[in-house]
This record gives sequence, C-alpha cells and structure tokens, in this order.
Amino acid sequence: MKKQWLFLLVLIGMLILSACSGSTIPEGEETSGAGDAPASDGANEVVYASTSDAVGLSPTMTNDSVSSNVMTQIYENLFERNPETMELEPKLAESYENPDDLTWVIKLKEGIKFQDGTDFNAEAVKYSFDKLRDPATAAPRASLLEPVDTVTAIDETTVEIKTKYPYGPLLAALSHSNAAIISPTADEKQDLMQNPVGTGPFKFVSWNQGDEIVLEKNPDYWNGEVALDQVKFKVVPEISTAISMLQTGEVNFLDALPPEQISRIEGLENVEVTKQEGTPVYYLTFNHSRERNQNPDFRKAVASAVDRDAFVEKLNGLGVRSDSILGPKVFGYTEEADKAGTPYDPELAKQLVQENGFGNEPIKLLAANRDNFILMAEIVQSQLTEAGFKVEIETMEWATFLDTARGGEYDMTFLSWSNVTSDGSEMFYPNFHSDNVGNSNRAQYSNPEFDKLVEASRTTIVPEEREKFLAEANQFMLDDNAAIVMYHGVVTSATEKSIKGLKVDPNGQWSLANVKRE
Amino acid sequence: MVALIIRRAFQLVFLLLGISFLVFSSMYIAPGDPASIIGGPTATASDIEAIEANLGLDRPFLVQYANYLGNAVQGDFGYSYQTSQPVGDAIAVRFPNTLKLAIASMIVAVIIGIITGLVSALKQNSLLDVSATTFALAGISIPNFWLGALLILVFAVNLQWLPVGGMSHPFYTVDGIKELILPAITLGTGSAAMIARMTRSSMLEVIRADYVRTARAKGVKEKNVIWIHTLKNAMIPIITVIGLNFGFLLGGTIITEKVFAINGVGRLMIDAIAARDFPMVQGSVLLVATLFVLVNLIVDIIYTYIDPRIKYD
Repeated sequence: MKKQWLFLLVLIGMLILSACSGSTIPEGEETSGAGDAPASDGANEVVYASTSDAVGLSPTMTNDSVSSNVMTQIYENLFERNPETMELEPKLAESYENPDDLTWVIKLKEGIKFQDGTDFNAEAVKYSFDKLRDPATAAPRASLLEPVDTVTAIDETTVEIKTKYPYGPLLAALSHSNAAIISPTADEKQDLMQNPVGTGPFKFVSWNQGDEIVLEKNPDYWNGEVALDQVKFKVVPEISTAISMLQTGEVNFLDALPPEQISRIEGLENVEVTKQEGTPVYYLTFNHSRERNQNPDFRKAVASAVDRDAFVEKLNGLGVRSDSILGPKVFGYTEEADKAGTPYDPELAKQLVQENGFGNEPIKLLAANRDNFILMAEIVQSQLTEAGFKVEIETMEWATFLDTARGGEYDMTFLSWSNVTSDGSEMFYPNFHSDNVGNSNRAQYSNPEFDKLVEASRTTIVPEEREKFLAEANQFMLDDNAAIVMYHGVVTSATEKSIKGLKVDPNGQWSLANVKRE
Repeated sequence: MVALIIRRAFQLVFLLLGISFLVFSSMYIAPGDPASIIGGPTATASDIEAIEANLGLDRPFLVQYANYLGNAVQGDFGYSYQTSQPVGDAIAVRFPNTLKLAIASMIVAVIIGIITGLVSALKQNSLLDVSATTFALAGISIPNFWLGALLILVFAVNLQWLPVGGMSHPFYTVDGIKELILPAITLGTGSAAMIARMTRSSMLEVIRADYVRTARAKGVKEKNVIWIHTLKNAMIPIITVIGLNFGFLLGGTIITEKVFAINGVGRLMIDAIAARDFPMVQGSVLLVATLFVLVNLIVDIIYTYIDPRIKYD
C-alpha cells in the first residue's frame, strides 16, 4: 500500500514538474522583472498590447485586424496610401502606367531582398497575387483580386496585370494588407501563418501562441535604418488590465481605445493619447428585402427619429458626426455630403408614424454584442420609441450575428466597415451592390440605379471620374435613406511619452519603421 | 485499488466518447459558421464555399464526426480552423499555465481555508469565529473580476510590488512566483471560503462525537485530540471539496485568466467557442473532462488512506 502511494506521488510530482517547466522562455531572451521596474525601460523596444491574438501571419490566409497589425511590420505592398494626403503612392513599386483600360504595367524597385535573402522581383509579385487568387488556396480575401485576369512577370522588375474589365480601385486593392508580397521561397518551404517572411522593417523571431509575438529589426531593410531593436505584441484580453500595464510600463503602446476608458487613459501622466479622423463607419441599416422597409416614408420616419448628434456626444470625442456614408478620409467623399442626409426631426417622425401606422408592428433591431453596437441599439430604441415606433432589441454574439445578418433575418441592424483601402467603391460594392446580396451585402440592398453608379465608379480607371460617380452614389443612398450613419470612427493610440514618431493611419493601421524611443 | 483504476479507465473511455459526440453535435447545430468567421464580413459566397471545402465542412455531419474520432483515437486531435495550428500543440502551450495557476490557487485555498475553518470550529461563536465566517461569506460572494482588478490596482499599479499580469517565467524563479501571487489569491479566495465552511461544519460534527469525548476522558492531549482524532476524521468532506475545486480550476478559469492576461486553457476554450473553432473546442473539452475524472480518481484513492474502512476492491 505504502509503495503504491509513493509511486503515485512521484508520478504526480513528475507530471507537474514536466508540465510547468514547458513554458520556460527561450534562452537568451531578455527577462525583465515586471514589478521591479518598468519592463521595457531603457530597452530599445516597443511592447504593444491587443485584446486578442493574431490568427496567423500570412497575408494570404488571414483577414483580421490583429494579424494585420503584426503583418504590417513584416510585409509590404506594391502601393500604400499616404496618410496625410490620402493619395496612393508606390511602395515596393517604382511607378505604373496604363497602356489601356485593362492593363497595368507596374515597374518595381530594384535591389530589395526579403528577410530570408530571396530577391524581391516580378516573379515574387506574380507568385503572391496568383496564390491569393487561386481557389485552391481558399484565401479569405480572394475577392480583392477577383477582377484580375492574369499576372505576368515581363522581366525582373516589371509586372503586368490584366483585369477582366476596367478596374479603377486596383491600386487601392493592391495597398490592402492582405495583398502584401510574400517570399516565394519561404512560402514553399514553411508555413507563413507561423513563420512569416516579407520585405518589411521587422523580421519574425518567435510566437508563443495566445501570449506574445516577438519581432526584431531587419538590419538589411531597404528603406532606411530601423531605430527599434525589438517589438513585442502582447495579448492582454482585458482592456483595463492593459491600461494598468501601460501605467506601470509593462506595455507601452495601445490602440483602438474604448470611449468608456478614454478619460482614465488621458489622466495617466506617462502617457500620450492621439486621436484623429479615421475611415471606419458605423451605421444603422434596414433589411431592404422586407416589404415594410421598402416604403420610402418608413425609412424617412426612422431617419428623422434618430438623433445622431446625441449619440456622438456619448462617444467622448471618439466619433465624427457626418451624414455622408463615405467618411472624410475615404476616397469619394465630398464635404457637401456631410449634411445631405435626412435631418433629425422628431415632429416629422411622429407625424409619419401616426399617419402611416408604422407603430403597429414591432421592429426587430438586431445588434452584435461587440464594439458600441449595444449602446447604439439602446439609444436608437429609445429615440424610435419616442417617435411612436415599437422596437425590440435582439443581441447576439458575433458568430451568430454574421450568419443572421447575412441571411437577412432581421428588420433593422447596425453594421460597420473599417475600409482598409480607404476607397469608396470598396465600401459600396461589397456592402450595398446587388451582386453581393445574401453575402457581404447584409442590408440586402438592391437598386439598379445605385448599382450602375457603383459599377461606373469601379470600371473607370480615371480617378477624377471615379470620385464623381462615388459622390453621386453617396448622395443617392442619402436621398434614399438606405442607411443612416451613426458616426465615423476616430483612430486612437496611447503611447508612453518616450515613444516618438508613431502615427496611426486613418484606417487604424500603423508602422513602427520610423518609431524610436528617447 | 487496481480494480478501481481499471473501472474508472473504462468509464473514462465511454465518458469521452459521449462528450465528444455531444460537443461535436452541439457545435454543429449552434448558429454561426466557422467559414464565415474566417472570411469575415467581406467574404463573398465563393470565398466562403472555398473555405468550407478546405476545412472539410461541406461533408455530412456523421462523416465529419467519424473522421474526427478516427484521428483522435490515434492521438491526432486535428488542426485549429482559425490558426491551422495542431490542437495538441495549442493546448500543450497553455495547459502548464492553467496547471500552475490551479496548484498555486489550491495552495492558497487549502492553507487559508483549513486554518480559518479549524480556528472557527475550535472557537465556536467567538469573535474569531464570526470574523472567519464573515471572511468565508465574503470570499464566496466577491466576484473574481472585481477582486482581481482591485489587487492589480493596489499591488501592481500603486505599490508596484508585483506585475500586473502575464505568465512567462518558470514557476521556480522569483519572477515566476511574483506572477502567480495575485492570480492565485484572486482565484484561491473563493475556494478557501468553501473549504473553510466545510472544515468548520465537519469539525463541529466530529468534535462532538463520542470517541472524541472518550479520548479526552482518557486524558489524551488536546493537541492529539484535534489533529489525530478529530481533523483526520473530518477530512473526508473537506477532501471532496478540495478535489472538486481543483477539478474546476484545472478546467481553466476564464475570468482570472482574462484579468491577469494568463495564456491558459480557459481562455483558449472560450476564444475557440466564439470563433466556432470546432477541433479546438473538442480538444480542450476532452482534456478538461479527462482531468476532472483523474482528479476524482485521486480523491477516491485518498479516501482509502484517510479512512482505511473504505475499500474499492
């Protein structure tokens, strides 16, 4: 009996010890006693915290913003949008020309190498784009390059892209983080999801899944010396814990700050907060396939009943008020559209509801339980109720919401669009064009006149003309009360004061290439 | 005892089979589709079809389940839909953290719980007893997220004695121990309170038993009366509570793991459910179920040591 006992105890002890020592950090990695002193004090590194982990580190196989934050440091695109002017500029590309409406000849920069030593050239570009387009890859963002017909490497530094039809937003699509250029040799040898290789300022070191990703400076970076030696992406699921870590120095950079925490963060002495207009838009929309919602008076009554100014005030400065569906930082926006929607007019709303009996049947207002959607639903519910509507809120978690909204099982709902490419066509086509009803067009909006304007904005390659069509499409939606913009997002960051040179782009992405610590 | 272990092993096989079917079918029936989460709001119908085909989600339910089972029997628990990482690897990275946290919390819980319970039973109705029972009530009532946030503010942010969160150092180093203190107290308090209440009531019951009176009448020293005659005999229900609590803690403690940014099994499971990452949910639920059965088996074995009258053979 005693022997058995001893054996059992030894066994349990061994199990525990072997299990617990499994999480030791790699040798040589600097350990820092948090609690003694700020973790990264003096070290030439930046520790960023996000509430969830990256899904993977292959631009081809992912479609989420956390992964994209990491990938932006590792990979680069042919083009990128200048965050100041919002113009598209060449990055890995040198220049481009259009011999005709269907052809894009892109000249590449010379002498650039991937982090694994592979040459960056036309073949690498072809490989990256063909992989993204190949149905066998099952890339979540394959649709980015759907209009592309062929990609040809003409010579070492020239790529020719032929599209199936004239495609205006091509350069914007190529600036999307999921259209970044990957190292073909690395992709054939290893899984880029776990072990990424690009041309960017930082290269991959390690990933302790669910905990942290470590990148280090790419010493051979083609576009100037990188100041930081190391970057860490830590997963801190609870935002209030992340703020405490920012306060103690365990973390020195947060972004996408929630409105309810902004005053706490602004009160921290060692922290600087930045806010600027961004591309995300949050809107209330109808399920246009339902008969009641097809009545223009019904939509007008709803639009007149929703006081958007009152909602934006609740966001503590983290929202921009504009009627326009395309926000101030999106290609196709015009200032006139700011006030071109149906204004808040509770009396008119009440009158329309009474005259038409809109209050007889309840409205099912669907809200996903993330971001500000529930807050929006509650405020809109009370405003609509005041106008005489009957509103029932139904909240659900994200996965269920995606399916329910896609299937059109609701009367009205709140949707958002981050608009990574900052292009108006990329907002209108997936979200409101009849081609995408039942998929990304969750509003089930289908209007031939609107479709034509959106198609025109996509199938001309002259930017000025595209802008004109987008402005018209925008106005068309506002006149039709097809969607009611609640607010346009403000992109934010909170950094320790020693961090200099960090700028968050309007689409919420950022690069640490020019960031240093002082 | 060998018979007990063999019997439990058999039970475990059937239990795991049942659980795996239950989890598989409930994830299958649940609204929300893994492919549309991977595709995100931008995915078109053809994107989603391609992702489904890639993950094998376009096959009939029973085929999917049979495939899963066939692989699982051979030790292959599949790949995460989200990250394409092997499920076994993902769990292996996180389980040590959950185990460390569970053991540390149990140490806190057992020490505080038994001492408080003992004191409160031996000094029944005294001021000490009242404070101990108040502590127990508070321990059970205070939500973990609140206690965790409070401890962080006091000991990590203001006093800066301990780190705010994370768990990246080996447990036998000073940093490793520092990382464990706040989460272990947060998590241990609830269990400590339960153990204290159980110790108190169990001790009070035994302390009035005839054999205790006899022992005292025979002139046995009070110390021996308490430790040998009373506590050992009061231990059975206490061990049961400890075992159950430990089993729960090994299943991952979502809130504490979240508040202290600990990369554990609880968080893995909840994230996997939110992302409809079926293989990951399956893998982690099966692990938790197995551990629960194992802990209960150990508790049963400990009974025989405490009370030799208990025999399973």
